[in-house]
Amino acid sequence: MELVMKMPDLSTTDSAIKLVRWLVQPGQSVQRGQSLCEIETDKAASEVESIATGVLKEFRAQPGDLVVVGQELAIFETETPPSPAPSAVPGPVKGPGLFARNRAAVPAPGPTPAPAPAIVLSQAQQTLGRRLQASKQNIPHFYLQASASAEPMIRRRDAASPKPLWEAFFVFAIGKVLKDFERIRWRLNGEGVIAAPTSDIGVAVDARGDLFVAAIAAAPGASVEEISDEIRARAREIQEGAGEARGLRPAAITITNLGASSVESFAAIINPPEVAILAVGKIGPVPVVQDGRVAVQQRVALTLSADHRVINGKYAADFLGAIIREIESV
Amino acid sequence: MPAPTPYEKSFVLSLYERMALIREFEERVKYLFLEGVMPGTIHQCQGQEATATGVCASLNPDDWITSTFRGHGHALAKGLTAQELLDELFGARTGCCKGKGGSMHVGNMKKGMVPGIAIVAGGIPLAAGMALAFKMRGAPQVVACFFGDGAVAEGAFHEGVNMAALWNLPVLFVCENNLYGASTHVSKVMKDTRISRRASYYGFDGRTVDGNDVLAVYEAARQAVAECRAGQGPALLELLTYRRTGHSRRDTCGYQPKDEREAWFSRDPLDRFAAVLTQRGDISQAELDQVKSGVEQQITDAVAKARTAPLAGPEELLQDLFAPSA
Repeated sequence: MELVMKMPDLSTTDSAIKLVRWLVQPGQSVQRGQSLCEIETDKAASEVESIATGVLKEFRAQPGDLVVVGQELAIFETETPPSPAPSAVPGPVKGPGLFARNRAAVPAPGPTPAPAPAIVLSQAQQTLGRRLQASKQNIPHFYLQASASAEPMIRRRDAASPKPLWEAFFVFAIGKVLKDFERIRWRLNGEGVIAAPTSDIGVAVDARGDLFVAAIAAAPGASVEEISDEIRARAREIQEGAGEARGLRPAAITITNLGASSVESFAAIINPPEVAILAVGKIGPVPVVQDGRVAVQQRVALTLSADHRVINGKYAADFLGAIIREIESV
Repeated sequence: MPAPTPYEKSFVLSLYERMALIREFEERVKYLFLEGVMPGTIHQCQGQEATATGVCASLNPDDWITSTFRGHGHALAKGLTAQELLDELFGARTGCCKGKGGSMHVGNMKKGMVPGIAIVAGGIPLAAGMALAFKMRGAPQVVACFFGDGAVAEGAFHEGVNMAALWNLPVLFVCENNLYGASTHVSKVMKDTRISRRASYYGFDGRTVDGNDVLAVYEAARQAVAECRAGQGPALLELLTYRRTGHSRRDTCGYQPKDEREAWFSRDPLDRFAAVLTQRGDISQAELDQVKSGVEQQITDAVAKARTAPLAGPEELLQDLFAPSA
């Protein structure tokens, strides 16, 4: 017999459910309880289990689709029916009904909730968008621009194998100076502030176009190489879509690096509830004056965005200066 | 060569049947939810069948239990039928709470189960109050109060346990320690994770027991219930167990590490008990299979009936909310 599986009620906030990818293919045999597909709601990434044992005949939704609860997901060819059908014909239900039996009486939503946008943003992008819009609208950002000599970093990196990520140097530098700049870890709380519950340093990670922040623990005394390994491991978890890795983990401050994309310098939007973010540009040769003579030096542009409700200019400048001193002495 | 067990065959088979019934009930409810037939969220106890079954087997029919939002297993172990539970989950007026309780509040006052209290630790002071009533009436009854590891950090735990200890009340506090309060591991919320030790701070005895060994649970509970009945209560049992499903139906358990899951799955209470039973010599695998197919049929029939059971109507909304005035 043919059996239609519909999207279960897996969304805690009634948000639409995005089908991320199928874990089985048409023609394949599946067991009841086997994971059929990955889904994403505004709260969590999870998997949908098959209600049937049989052969998957056909998909009724495609990766990227936004699916509502009760919408058809897949068709199975199966020998055993799922849960037994009602044992008798129910009598007429009087008055407005309750619960699922009555929900079934409501016409099922069509395959496309209209009007459907041509391209649906991922749940992660929608959440990020809301947060950053609130940040940009509500936080009085100010921006400090400076640059640091990248030559000690380059020497250190060239001497290592495998070569550490550039981000690791900045996590290392911030990790060393953060204890002297407690305000960077402050979070606005009503009329006062509280300390962030963590000293982790966030690193922005791209996963198929979506932006996630990997919280890097950077244990005291950890080397640049160890930090680099940690960033790689966390980025891999995020890119592989591990639910927990993508979850919102607080960090004290975030680093975002577009240097690999040839961006000279840029100003980033603060990732709330953090109060600062460091934007790292590309490393390149620039003329500098040394001892009254012009020389060529590899330098990196840094822009610190800070929340003026919590941090003032002098404090942010001292913080940026301390980072630069660490970067120039790695 | 295992020592011959002192239990009657009919007794151990009844324990096995009860555990199999709980597992089958929970699995079937899970699929009813996934099929879109069962509404709402559901907190399930697959993997924890031995705690409810072992404790309730040590109680008399007129003893009481209090339960939590994860109460299906407690209810079946206390003697509620699969039919009255399924009817309740479907919102039918034939349900154990006339369709107004739902999954998080199953219970039946005629069978010694106060409808589940979904507030974490909410049942603990209530159980202390019930036990005080037994003591004041001179009734030889005991209340077994089920709660999870997450309840231990609640103020209500301290209040209820302290009072029960102070007045030697006949309460068996049963902590089903499944390692996670929702998604948070016990080690993240308590410095001393050996929960049974808390009893000594209040001046009575606590024990930690393998909660996936139904006979170990039964023995520990039997002894504790006897002490409570003799006026030497309360007692605290910490039963170490593990849930095979998410905290609720929308939780896919991503926080349980794979190796931890596998280690606990290898200690599954049903599989372990089946192995114990078939080693006795007087119970065959075929008999166990027969028990399983019996509970499968029982649940199949109950589901079919529950799906057409009459729903509670709006005119019943305000009925049965308060005790009749004296």
